[in-house]
Amino acid sequence: MKTHFNGILTVFLFISLILWFTQRTNPDSTLDIRVFTASSLSDVIKDLADEWTNGSETSVELVIGGSNHLAAQLRDGAPADVFLTADGNLLTDLRSQGLLSDGLVEAVAHNYLVVAQPISGPDRHPSTLYDPSLILVTCAPGVPCGDATITRFADLPVDSHEPSARAVVARLALDEADLGVVYATDVVAHPDLIQAWPQENTCPCVAYSAAGMSPTGDKFVKFLSSVQAQQILSAHGFTLEPS
Amino acid sequence: MTTPGGAPRAVLFIAALAITFLALPVLALLQRAPWSSLLNLLTRQEVIDALGVSVVVSLVAAGIVLVLGTPLAWVLVRVNMPLRRLIRALVLLPMVLPPVVGGTALLFALGRRGLVGQWLERWFDVTLPFTTAGAVVAATFVALPFYVVTVEGALRTNSDHLEQLAATLGASPISVFRRVTLPQLMPAMAAGMALAWARALGEFGATITFAGNLPGRTRTLPLATFEALESDPEAAIALSLVLLAVSLAVLVPTRDRWIPTR
Repeated sequence: MKTHFNGILTVFLFISLILWFTQRTNPDSTLDIRVFTASSLSDVIKDLADEWTNGSETSVELVIGGSNHLAAQLRDGAPADVFLTADGNLLTDLRSQGLLSDGLVEAVAHNYLVVAQPISGPDRHPSTLYDPSLILVTCAPGVPCGDATITRFADLPVDSHEPSARAVVARLALDEADLGVVYATDVVAHPDLIQAWPQENTCPCVAYSAAGMSPTGDKFVKFLSSVQAQQILSAHGFTLEPS
Repeated sequence: MTTPGGAPRAVLFIAALAITFLALPVLALLQRAPWSSLLNLLTRQEVIDALGVSVVVSLVAAGIVLVLGTPLAWVLVRVNMPLRRLIRALVLLPMVLPPVVGGTALLFALGRRGLVGQWLERWFDVTLPFTTAGAVVAATFVALPFYVVTVEGALRTNSDHLEQLAATLGASPISVFRRVTLPQLMPAMAAGMALAWARALGEFGATITFAGNLPGRTRTLPLATFEALESDPEAAIALSLVLLAVSLAVLVPTRDRWIPTR
């Protein structure tokens, strides 16, 4: 009985040791680059990563999530080379805690808010945005798209505060909501969505910044301003300069 | 600690490990709690709104679970029907299904364009998503199995000879159920209710997917906690403490009373 127990304990310790060892060695393999990305960039970042690996020997590992959650992980010591976010305050905050070292921070692209509807829905016009009988969903206050929505539109009769623009898109794609405030790029990416009425790209809008957190990360940040990268960004509906 | 000499050390050691494992996160939460600003954080309007929605949703869900679950558990044990194994598995499914998937499935079923939901809208002008009733539906869906499993277990251990005795004395099936089966089942029903209620109170994934998130309507405490985690972690911890306190206040007395302890 006792030897049995000791055996289990040995196996347990052995596995722990292996895990600890792999944890320690992984960040040292300099060939890899780990990019923390806001979820609203999740489509374009895959194309950008492909373009990056084409021209170099590094492989890109993407960690996609809400900006606040990613920032919290970084504060807790998650290893990352680049952080791409629409929330400039988070970058200021991380820099003040010394987490960005002297890394490069560059504005990468802009994105605009649009009112969208399911493609199957009836024609809407701007005043329907305030019609309480329609189901309207937006991002929650506190996430970048939600804060921008509040700055842009006051007192909307919102039926649900969603955790991300992606979640708003899902509501519209399932035809569970009549109108939703999403990013212009979401409408480009999703065939089930259309702009509820013709809308100009106007600010208040969302500006994405990339912060390098290591020398390799800095290279990736520079790459994002290159012609190839900017072409990919604009193909996804992002713009370089706010209009 | 009646048998300190007799308890195998390995068992005691592993049990202690398990207790530590469960207690550690709770202690860590308490250690990070913003005690000085707690009162300030908890008397905010949004917290009071969320608490109100949570209390209403979890209590109504527990009531529906009681009404639906008791006959279901009884049928599963006492009625010999075809596909019983399959039905039993179906009852357990919400326990296994990731709640977000459960919420999406509820949308496909009861949403505006759902299998049944489209008729609810057309005939009765009822839409469940984005309403408090929708939050109750989501909570009921995930909580029901906890109640059914508890009551089913009790029914299986109680033999049915008292019921048969009552029947031979001339009692009708419904009065046997009401006057013999139910009174015997009370402790298990209370324990099952406590579990189901606790599950409904903590429900997050199915609620946010099916019912959405609006203060005062569908935003329960777990949803408010999740949202606060994005912008105000201290408020999130304070909200979790409320959930912790409410559930301990209910579960500690009910567990001692209804689940036999010596």
